[in-house]
Amino acid sequence: MEEELMESDPVEISSSAQFLGGSPAAWATVSAALVDPGSSASEQCVSESLAVLCTSGLGRHLGSWLLNTLQMRLATAVAPEFWAGLEQPENEVEERDRARVLLVAFHTLLEKLEPFIGGLEMLGRWQEEGRCGLSGPGTHALRDRAFTIIRARLLFSPPAALQRRVLEFYSRTFSVHMSQEGQAGDGGAEDGEPDDGGGCPGCAGPAGRCWCQEALGQLQELSGILCRLQLLEQVSSEAVTSIMHKLLEQRMEQHCRGEYERSFLLDFQEWLELVLGWLARVFASTEEGAGTPRATTPARGAPGRASGSLLQQWRRHMHQFFCRVYVNMRIEELFSIIRDFPESKPAIEDLKFCLERTNQRQQLLTSLKSAFESRLLHPGVHTSDILTVYISAIKALRDLDPSMVILQVACQPIRKYLRTREDTVRQIVAGLTGDADGCIDLANELSRADPVTLEMQDSEDEGGGPEDWLPDPTDAVKDKTGSKRRSSDIISLLVSIYGSKEIFIDEYRTVLAHRLLHQLNYNTAREIRNVELLKLRFGESHMHYCEVMLKDVADSRRINANIREEESKQGAGPGEEPQTPPPPPLALSAMIFSSEFWPQLKEEKLELPPVVSQAMEAYTHRYEKLKAMRTLSWKPHLGSVTMDVELEDRVLTDLTVSPIHAAIILHFQDKSSWSLEELSAKLGVSKETVHRKLALWQQQGVLREEAGGQYSVLETGSSRERLERSVLLLDSDEEGDSNTTTQLEQREEKLQLFWAYIQAMLTNLESMTLDRIHSMLRMFVATGPVVTEMDVNELEAFLQRKVREHQLMVSAGVYRLPKAN
Amino acid sequence: MSSQNTDPAAAASTAALKGSEAGGSAARGSVTKRLQQELMTLMMSGDKGISAFPESDNLFKWIGTIDGAQETVYEGLRYKLSLEFPSGYPYKAPRVKFVTPCFHPNVDEQGFICLDILKDKWSALYDVRSILLSIQSLLGEPNNDSPLNTAAAELWENQEAFKAHVNSSFQS
Repeated sequence: MEEELMESDPVEISSSAQFLGGSPAAWATVSAALVDPGSSASEQCVSESLAVLCTSGLGRHLGSWLLNTLQMRLATAVAPEFWAGLEQPENEVEERDRARVLLVAFHTLLEKLEPFIGGLEMLGRWQEEGRCGLSGPGTHALRDRAFTIIRARLLFSPPAALQRRVLEFYSRTFSVHMSQEGQAGDGGAEDGEPDDGGGCPGCAGPAGRCWCQEALGQLQELSGILCRLQLLEQVSSEAVTSIMHKLLEQRMEQHCRGEYERSFLLDFQEWLELVLGWLARVFASTEEGAGTPRATTPARGAPGRASGSLLQQWRRHMHQFFCRVYVNMRIEELFSIIRDFPESKPAIEDLKFCLERTNQRQQLLTSLKSAFESRLLHPGVHTSDILTVYISAIKALRDLDPSMVILQVACQPIRKYLRTREDTVRQIVAGLTGDADGCIDLANELSRADPVTLEMQDSEDEGGGPEDWLPDPTDAVKDKTGSKRRSSDIISLLVSIYGSKEIFIDEYRTVLAHRLLHQLNYNTAREIRNVELLKLRFGESHMHYCEVMLKDVADSRRINANIREEESKQGAGPGEEPQTPPPPPLALSAMIFSSEFWPQLKEEKLELPPVVSQAMEAYTHRYEKLKAMRTLSWKPHLGSVTMDVELEDRVLTDLTVSPIHAAIILHFQDKSSWSLEELSAKLGVSKETVHRKLALWQQQGVLREEAGGQYSVLETGSSRERLERSVLLLDSDEEGDSNTTTQLEQREEKLQLFWAYIQAMLTNLESMTLDRIHSMLRMFVATGPVVTEMDVNELEAFLQRKVREHQLMVSAGVYRLPKAN
Repeated sequence: MSSQNTDPAAAASTAALKGSEAGGSAARGSVTKRLQQELMTLMMSGDKGISAFPESDNLFKWIGTIDGAQETVYEGLRYKLSLEFPSGYPYKAPRVKFVTPCFHPNVDEQGFICLDILKDKWSALYDVRSILLSIQSLLGEPNNDSPLNTAAAELWENQEAFKAHVNSSFQS
C-alpha cells in the first residue's frame, strides 16, 4: 500500500524529501504509519521519526498530505471500485443477492477507507497531545474534512443504481420490520411486488427461504457502515423519505378515502410510531456503530445524540407530512364531508387538527368554493337541497374554523346564488315552520337555540380579557363588520342572505295566512308556537302583524260562538216570531280578519246563492250588534263548505268543497239543467272558471255535460263505483291556489306607489336623471308594510316601460313628463 | 389649581348649546317624520292640479305646482311655488310664495301671498295638501278687500280683461 502511495504521489514525496534534507526515512515511517495504522512499525520508531520531522518543520504538512492522499485514492481507486461493485448485471440476481451486493460494496468501501480514518485519528491524537510540538486542527476537524472529501467524491453525482438499490433494500427491510411488528397486511403488498402465495409476508421470499432475519442483520450492518463513514443521511434520506411518503399516501388512500365517520388521527399516530421503529433501526444503529472497538474517539457520544435528534426530526417530518397528505385528501372531499355533516364530524375534527399544522387554508377555500360552484350552484339543484347543504356547511365549517372566516368566505358564492333564486325565501320560511319535507333542521334550529343566550355569549366573548383576543386569520374578508359580527347562527345567516328581515317576515305572513285560511278550524297552537319562536329571533315589533293575525283567529272563534248562541236564543226566543223558523239551513261560521294586518287577499268575484248570502247578511247584522262601529266585508271565494248531496238514489255525505263548488251545485237545486253561460252570469264568474269547477261534480258523477253545453243532474247514478272514490279527491282540486296576492301583484302595487312619487317629483322639479330619481325615492318613500326597496336597474326598466307607454319622456338620460300632461 | 378648572360659565353655555342642539335635532326628527307622512298622503291622494315635492334632499324645502282651476281666469296656466318649513312646523306656518310671477289681487310682485291660513289663522291641522288646495281656490276667488296688488284688485271686476292680462303677462 505504501508503494502505491509513493507511486501515486511521487512529486509530493520527492519535494518534501528534498526540502527536509535527509530525513526521508522518517517521513516514510510516519506516513506509512498514518496510512496503515495497523502496520508493523513500532510505536517507538514512529515517535522518533515524527520527532525528526517536527524538528525539520515538516510536521505541519502531515495533515494536508494525508487528506490529499485520501482524495487521490478515492478518485483513482476506491470510488470506481465501489461503483463497479454496485453495477453488476442485476437482472440476473435475486433481490436477496442484490441486497448482498449492496452490502458487500459498502463493506469494501469501508475496508478501503478504514486505514485512512485510523491514520487521521492517530494524527489528530498526536496533534491534540501536542506531541513533539506538533499542532493542528485536531481529530474532530480532520475527520470532518476527511468525510467531506469522501462525500464529495462519492456522492457528488451518484449513479442511479445506488439510489435504486438503496431504495429497494430499504423497502424490503421496511416491510420485514412492519411484518414483524404485526402489520403483516401492509408490509408485503406495499412495495409494489406481487406477493407470492405462501411467501413470507416480510421478505416475500418463497416459503422456507425466508431471509427476514438476514435482511434485518444486513440493515444493521449497512447502517453501521454508513454511519461510520458519516454517509448515512446522504445515502438513506432520499430513499427513506420516498418510501415513507409512498406508504403513507397508499395507506391514506386505502383507509381514509370516503370514510368520514371515524377519526384516523390515533390510528395513524400508532402506525407512525411503528414506522419510526424502523427508522430507529436505520438511524439509531449509529450507536452500535460507534461502539465498535476502533472508534475510541472523544466525539463518541455525539453520533448517538445526533441520531436521537435525527429521529425527532424524522418524527416531526412524518407528522407534518401526514397532516399535509391528510389535509390534501380531505380538501378534495370536503364537499362530500359537508354533505354528510353530522355523520362526518370525526373527519372534520381530524381536518381541523391537521389544518392547524399546515398552511393550506387558502387551498381549502379555493377548492371548496369551486366545489360548491360546480356541484351545487347550478339550475339542476333544487333550492331546498342547496339550503340543506348550506346549513350543513354552516355547521361543519363553524366546527372547522371557530373564527368563521372559512365559513364566511367559502359560502359567499352560495349566498350570492341563493339571492338569485326566486323561491329561496319561501323555502327558508317553509323550513322554519317545519312545512318543508327535507329540512327539519331549520325548525329544530329555531326551537333549539334561543338568541338571547346566543347574544349573551357574544357579549361575554367581548368581555374576555385582551389576552384572549386572537387576530383574524389573514384570509378574512376585510369588511367593516369585523370579526365579532361574524355570526355562526344558522337562522341569522340564512335571513341575512337578503340583508333584511322584512322580506322574511312578509313571506312568513303570507305562509301564515295561507295556512290559517286553509285550516279554518281555529286551531292555531302550532302557529302560535312558531310565531313565538320567531318573535325571539326577530323581535316583538316585527312579528306584530302575525300576532294580530293569530289573535283574529282566536277572536273569530269567540265571536262565532257568541253569534251562534245569539242565533239559538233568538230562535227559541218567545214573542218575536211565534212560529220559530227552522234553524238556518246552513251553519255559517266566519273567520274575521283585520284587513290592515293581513296580507292582501286575492280579490275574486263570486255571487253566492241567496240562501247563503242571506245567512251572511244575518251574520253581519249580529256582528255589527256585537261590535259597534264595525262591519264585515265578506270574501265569498275563500273558505270551505261541508255539504251532503242528496240525489234520488244516493247521498253523498260530508263533502268538503270550496264555496264556488257549493254555489254551483246549489243552483242545480232550483233547476236541474244549466248552460255554462247561465251559470257564469248567475255566479259572476268567468265561464272558464265555471267550466273548471264543474269538472269536480262531473267526476263525482253528480252532473253530466249534455249536448249544447248544458249541464244536468244525474239523479240516478249508474256510476255507483265512482262513489267509492275518496272524498279527498275533492280537496286536491285547488290545493295549489294561493289565496293571498302573489308577489307579482304586490310588486305591481309597489310600482304604482312609486309612479305617484315619480310623477310628483317630475311635475315639480321638471327633469331629473335616473340616479336622482332613485335617490329621491329612497329618501322620501316612507316604508310601510310594502317592501319599498328597488334597485336602480329595476327602476330603469320601470321608467323605460313608462317611456314606451308615452307617460314619460327621456332625452340624454334626463327624464321629464310629457308637456301635454 | 386654576389651570385645571375650566370656566364654569363657558362650560354651562356649551352644555346649554349642546342641549338645545339635541332638543333641536329631536324636534327636527319628528318634523321630518310629519313631512314624510304629508308627502305620502299627498302622493296617495291623487289630487289633480296640485302637487308638491321636496326640491332636493332637504325635506324642509319643497317645490309646489298649482294648475289654475277650470273656469277661472287662470285656467290652463301652471304656477310654481316654494314652500319652506320652519323647524317649528307644524306649530308654525310654512313660508309659501309664488315662484312663477302671478298677477293676482292677493299676491305681490315678489310672489308673497296674503292668505289668512298662512298667517294668523294657521293651525297644525293644516297640511301641504290643504295649503295648496286653499291657494288654488284663492286664485279663483280672491279677497279684494285687502289686496296686495291693487291694480289686480281693480281689474278683477273685468274678468275678460283680467284674463287677457294674465295670459299675456304669464311667463312660466
